[in-house]
Amino acid sequence: MSIILKTEGLKKTFKLTAKQQKLQNTKRKVITAVDNLSFEAYEGEIFGLLGPNGAGKTTALRILATLIKADEGDAMVDGSSVKTDPAAVRAKIGFLTSELKLEDFFTPNYLFDFFARLHNIDPKVSALRKKTLFEKFGVDKFAEVKISNLSTGMKQKASLVISIVHDPNIIIFDEPTNGLDVLTARVVTDFLQELKEQGKTIIVSTHIFSLVEKLCDRAGIIINGKMIVCDTLAHLTAEKPLEDVFFDLYAETVGEAV
Amino acid sequence: MSGIVTVMKKEFARFFGDKRMILMTLLPAILIYVIYSFMGTAMADMFAPDADRTQYVYAVSAPDRIVQKMTDSGLTIHHIALDDVDAVKYRISERNADLLVIFPDHFLQDVEAFDPRTTTALAPNVAVYFNSAEPNSLDTYMRMLGILDAFEASITSRLFDINRDITDADLATTADLTASIIASILPLLLMIFLFSGCMGLAPESIAGEKERGTLATLLVTPLGRSELAAGKILSLAVLSFLSGLVTAIATVLAMPNLMAGAEEFIDVGIYGVVDYIWLALIILSTVLLFVAMISIVSAVAKSVKEANMAVTPMVIIVMVVSVAGMFGGGAQENPLFYLIPIYSSVQSMGGIFSMEYSAVNVALSAASNLIYACIGGFALTKMFNSEKVMFSR
Ligand SMILES: Nc1ncnc2c1ncn2[C@@H]1O[C@H](COP(=O)(O)OP(=O)(O)OP(=O)(O)O)[C@@H](O)[C@H]1O
Ligand SMILES: [Mg+2]
Repeated sequence: MSIILKTEGLKKTFKLTAKQQKLQNTKRKVITAVDNLSFEAYEGEIFGLLGPNGAGKTTALRILATLIKADEGDAMVDGSSVKTDPAAVRAKIGFLTSELKLEDFFTPNYLFDFFARLHNIDPKVSALRKKTLFEKFGVDKFAEVKISNLSTGMKQKASLVISIVHDPNIIIFDEPTNGLDVLTARVVTDFLQELKEQGKTIIVSTHIFSLVEKLCDRAGIIINGKMIVCDTLAHLTAEKPLEDVFFDLYAETVGEAV
Repeated sequence: MSGIVTVMKKEFARFFGDKRMILMTLLPAILIYVIYSFMGTAMADMFAPDADRTQYVYAVSAPDRIVQKMTDSGLTIHHIALDDVDAVKYRISERNADLLVIFPDHFLQDVEAFDPRTTTALAPNVAVYFNSAEPNSLDTYMRMLGILDAFEASITSRLFDINRDITDADLATTADLTASIIASILPLLLMIFLFSGCMGLAPESIAGEKERGTLATLLVTPLGRSELAAGKILSLAVLSFLSGLVTAIATVLAMPNLMAGAEEFIDVGIYGVVDYIWLALIILSTVLLFVAMISIVSAVAKSVKEANMAVTPMVIIVMVVSVAGMFGGGAQENPLFYLIPIYSSVQSMGGIFSMEYSAVNVALSAASNLIYACIGGFALTKMFNSEKVMFSR
């Protein structure tokens, strides 16, 4: 298997305002959200970044999606550097998080075409792709309903389909099942499995152990911005359940203050 | 480049697909029409004559009895010969004289002799020339009519006419009057309408999209940040221009209601094609500048509410600078004034409306507006690129 995504020594710090210091109950002016993070993802696998709240997962994925810039280090995404060629990276990835929203006013049909144009997809190709994807994920039934009138599940389906208008090889998904009921969460995991079967590479972040166990081929555990372990799921869970592995690691790195 | 068009198309689809948004944009126009129509009298005072100024009244063959009445009511009469009539008419049209009254040679005798029951001849006629664009002249004219009416009443059953067959008694040129009314207030109103047009759209489109997380969705596509900035600014400028235009049209339509009797004088036909082209250039470049200004503020703001709050002081600045541009006795001649944003737009518009402008200066202010708008566009691109601005907590 070949490496399709590789991060090397990623570091990201944030300056805290006085207000943020108070909110986070800390006296430090600068916090390190991602600290010397290096990992690799292989083509065709689902890779999980597992970590507690504030571990730096979202920050790491935003760097990969070129939304924010790392202070140090670089990541190569399918041959393009997030540092020197962010536009090329954006053309190769699909990025999904609950923070990125679709405009309420428009319909899935309109938005699919809109994003296809932004990705410079040939209209004929995108029309065909739209038909296939809308049928496969049942978006065709509400293709002409405004996003504002869709249920959370329908919205999620529309977002999923629209995030892959350009048929990216790599899909990066921050907290794929956060805030979703079991049915909708199932839609999302099925979607990711389906993409994996098509040979796509998927990077997900989550704090839910069961999701990693169910979905991922390999996973890295990240605590306080640092990668503590990174291995195949088979190796990670060889001796004990993932949750226990995590607690042991957490105690080792942070102390007993759980 | 294609990204700009895609973004613009989406912005237009958003606006024209939303009946509520269209209505909100039309609302100021409707309100202005209604309010102005009710406000008519308040504005009439603005055109009141200046009480301290001496009036220059010229008369030909004025009978002593009438001269006495005119002197009694405070008018000083200069007697002139029939030969000088044309010179005085010219001076009235130039606002250097106020009134010219021409009596027939033997006015009093004619009036005595005239009896409509026994003759089919026309009554003696008094010609009164004035300039309705000049408040002092108009006032003197009204007083003169009063004096003549009183005189006519005092000679019961005797009659004479005023300005019979004289259609050009008002020596104001139509252009002159239209210009004087429009030039004085329209630039200020236009600036305010254009700015509020931008204000109604840009914060929602930029701060709103940022707040709702839909802007970030665009940022993970290959769409260039500069394309996004340009697409937003251009589409918002077109929409703001349309909204400002509708409001301005409502104002012009309401103007006759605002100033009783103004409808005969407001004649947009006096301006030539070139005047309109200059005006369009000034307005469009001003709108681009406004949109760029408000977009930057909206991009920095965390929410629409915050953006609107930050834009409010800008309204005051625009108003103050616009009012400053209204005064100062007509359009400035020094080209440097045409580099000052907002002020230059007001000066140029005022100049165009009063038809006393230099094309170089107007071109200069359009160009400077465009340059400032481009700088704003670059700044907006920087903001879209800045993670601090886009993803701060
Ligand atoms: N823009 C920012 N300004 C200041 N601090 C930030 C910013 N973004 C993230 N942080 C801080 O960086 C750290 C990592 O945050 P991040 O959102 O990456 O964690 P996470 O693993 O995604 O957590 P969660 O499970 O809560 O989503 C946190 O302490 C967070 O407060
Ligand atoms: Mg997160």
